Amino acid sequence: MVWKIQGVEGENYLESIKNFLNQLLKSKNVDAVLVPKRFPDGNNTAQVLITDPGKLDDIDPLAPVQMVNSAQIVKELTKDPVKEKIASVLRPCEVRATIELIKLKQILDARLYIIGYDCPGVYNVKDYIEKLEKSNGIGKEGFTLSYVNSFLSGKQDTIRESCQLCTHFTGNSADINIAWVGSNSSDVFIEVNSEKGQSLIEGLAGEKIGDLIERNQKINKILDERKKRQENEIDDFLGFMQRCIRCYNCREVCPLCYCKECLLKPEKMGYSSDRYLRRATKKGQIKMPVDTVLYHLTKINHMAFSCVSCGLCEQACPMDIPLGRIYNVFGRKAQALFDYEPGRSLDDELPVATFKEDELKEIEDVKE
Amino acid sequence: MGKNSVDFEPKIIAFLCNWCAYAGADLAGTSRTQYPSNIRIIKLMCTGALDPTYVIKVLLEGADGVLIGGCHPGDCHYINGNYKARRRVAILKSSLETAGLESERVWLRWISASEGVYFAETVKEMVEHIKKLGPNPLKMEWAI
Ligand code: FES
Repeated sequence: MVWKIQGVEGENYLESIKNFLNQLLKSKNVDAVLVPKRFPDGNNTAQVLITDPGKLDDIDPLAPVQMVNSAQIVKELTKDPVKEKIASVLRPCEVRATIELIKLKQILDARLYIIGYDCPGVYNVKDYIEKLEKSNGIGKEGFTLSYVNSFLSGKQDTIRESCQLCTHFTGNSADINIAWVGSNSSDVFIEVNSEKGQSLIEGLAGEKIGDLIERNQKINKILDERKKRQENEIDDFLGFMQRCIRCYNCREVCPLCYCKECLLKPEKMGYSSDRYLRRATKKGQIKMPVDTVLYHLTKINHMAFSCVSCGLCEQACPMDIPLGRIYNVFGRKAQALFDYEPGRSLDDELPVATFKEDELKEIEDVKE
Repeated sequence: MGKNSVDFEPKIIAFLCNWCAYAGADLAGTSRTQYPSNIRIIKLMCTGALDPTYVIKVLLEGADGVLIGGCHPGDCHYINGNYKARRRVAILKSSLETAGLESERVWLRWISASEGVYFAETVKEMVEHIKKLGPNPLKMEWAI
């Protein structure tokens, strides 16, 4: 169901989104909003928890930069039960990670409202800052808006690789999605996807509108291009892993690596000077740090079926390993085994928490 | 790969569940059923308790094969651990292939406590298969 809410339209999409969030807070349908906001100084945006509608200036969910996967922030924010209703404004990959974390019992969603929005993709942080600095005084808001325009006209070759591969760039599994792709004004539309979503816009003046045909066409065009980009193989996985220094950055930023006690912690892996020497003796030599392939393949086996391909791992990698692409390929293959799409719905059970009696017979026997 | 395959003696690590496959191996032993000595057995309480990391670890360290043995579907001591193990092994094999490693070296078999003969046959079959495949190329791979 798509709604047009009265009084939301501003001069541009950012202002329209702000006006909508303002209505949510003022109507007391929610008590707090978590949303990306520009810092007054400095070249970045961060998630900000806002309770005062007067503080909504400078929110910028469309800025092409993503510092963390905000599902991690939602997890922190909801770890204790509260009576206040919190609306979190999330990119689609963050929406999907949030849904996976709810299934994994890492996010309490009783008072949580998930607001998605059409995502134009992001640059890696370094690129964003560099481009912003070179943008000659159009300002941070101007930069976001000109970026949004170039997205709409189909230019997106310099964004993060995971974004170039992303085929889930609208928040259709969120409670509501703020839709702007295919709007032919500066207004945004509210797609309601759940009962919770319906209760969010309760009491706001607005009207239901029919399918946005132009929107669907635009989205399908982007989808087609991106599907073509999705590579099916990784040529040299072991080679890429030789670059890994096992700094654990990719694990730290991964929204799906939620274990408090990680099996891959060095203490758990039983490294001692003596062991290194014994291992070296066995093969004659051994690369240090050891076990980079073991680390990544284990991580992949633990979370790839839930991987939402946000690409934060790639952004965090100091060695420029194309982890976004690597995890995307492993993830898609693992998910295809069970026709599973992470973050599609709370009703889909996690693939490793369930089974069918009659499946995977080919796994039980190796045929020569 | 494949060279000297006939005279090489593969090393196979077997992760066997306590209630079925391990008891099956035991039965093979007590009833003096012959099977190749290429196998090193690690006992688990259930195949559902096998973290894929252990399989990955032994492959990277150079084991030529990994046999995962559990109860037949419907017979798992913990109701459905083996069904869940099957899903994990499916993910594991897919990830090994994507990584360019040989998923053929990982076998999942259901072997009951009374199937001592079947256990012995499985080991024979696997040893033959791995001999054809040749030694695990990761055995001397030091940069991993
Ligand atoms: S107890 Fe044997 S597989 Fe679960």
